Amino acid sequence: MKATCLNRTRLTFAPIVSLVFILATTAHLGHAQLGMDAPAKPKSTVLYAAEPQSVPAARSSLLELRFQIVPGFHINSHTPNSQFLIPTALTLQPADGVKLGAPQYPAGVPFSFPFDPGVKVDVYSGSFTVKLPVVATAGDHAIDGTLKYQACDNASCYPPKTLPVRIVFTAK
Amino acid sequence: MMAAGIALVVWSGWKNWSQRRSAMQAQQQDRVDLMPDNAGSAASYAYTDQSPLRGKPAPAFTLLDLNGKKVSLSDFKGRPLVVNFWGTYCAPCKIEMPWLEEFSKKYAADGLQVVGVTYDSEVGRDTIARDAQQLGVTYPILLSTPKAEKDYLSGTDALPMSFYVDKTGKVIEVTAGLGSKDELESMVKETIASGGK
Repeated sequence: MKATCLNRTRLTFAPIVSLVFILATTAHLGHAQLGMDAPAKPKSTVLYAAEPQSVPAARSSLLELRFQIVPGFHINSHTPNSQFLIPTALTLQPADGVKLGAPQYPAGVPFSFPFDPGVKVDVYSGSFTVKLPVVATAGDHAIDGTLKYQACDNASCYPPKTLPVRIVFTAK
Repeated sequence: MMAAGIALVVWSGWKNWSQRRSAMQAQQQDRVDLMPDNAGSAASYAYTDQSPLRGKPAPAFTLLDLNGKKVSLSDFKGRPLVVNFWGTYCAPCKIEMPWLEEFSKKYAADGLQVVGVTYDSEVGRDTIARDAQQLGVTYPILLSTPKAEKDYLSGTDALPMSFYVDKTGKVIEVTAGLGSKDELESMVKETIASGGK
């Protein structure tokens, strides 16, 4: 519909006003859907919000990677309290001009499945942030990597997944 | 002049919308589906009434056990059977499996047979065997195949998932997720009772 409007060669004032309104509305909705607090569709997903960041050049700094887990699900923390469970872990590729430190994971929260409250695993739910120490030369940088995680809900578990992440930041 | 102004407004709106659409598409590519249907469901077995297997003959399988021996569905012909799909990463599976072990012994005189089918592509037999041993499981643990997963799981990847097969070879119940031990025993009894003596 919008593309059709844009392809018109003869535009009258009324359609232009309508078009501007539609575009403004769409832009507003897009902003809301991109927000960490309002995932586009609450449909069993883990989201990574790629937010451009800025750090001082040539100085040790921390980048923040924010993830959101859909309500009703949890994933194992980086230290899930059991050697048999798959920890959440970030793997990053080397990037020119960037010295990477070891990712800093948040502490998880205890969780026990119904019918066996004695066994507690350490999980993330809601949102969590992984901090990444970097020292970068001045300029724009991008670091690619993956977050490996394994999710469960209240009664079932799902196979491990890897989520692609791309960290974009500027060192000034 | 006015036309130029309007054109500028339209162009800027279009550019803004286009950039946001690209950002949204990029974010969509980062999304990973996790099977939402029973997310946060009550702590009780989810009876998968919609399973195409319910009321149908259990699909034939021939799978390898942890010793490399072939085990087939037909090996259990005429016996009540529980086919339990599990994974080494699955904490609720490991709560349920000792219960299945207990019932396999308790109802052995009724002919009950339990088999575990490991739905786990990332680990080797040693890890699977270690987990089964630590859980005290003595019933057969079989290694899944894409065909068995297609035939039984119908595209879902939620674990645990169990199929209750009566003496006639018919699937009388399908459950997904962890329920109570009492519920599990009720379904075992129902499976034993189904299909006549």
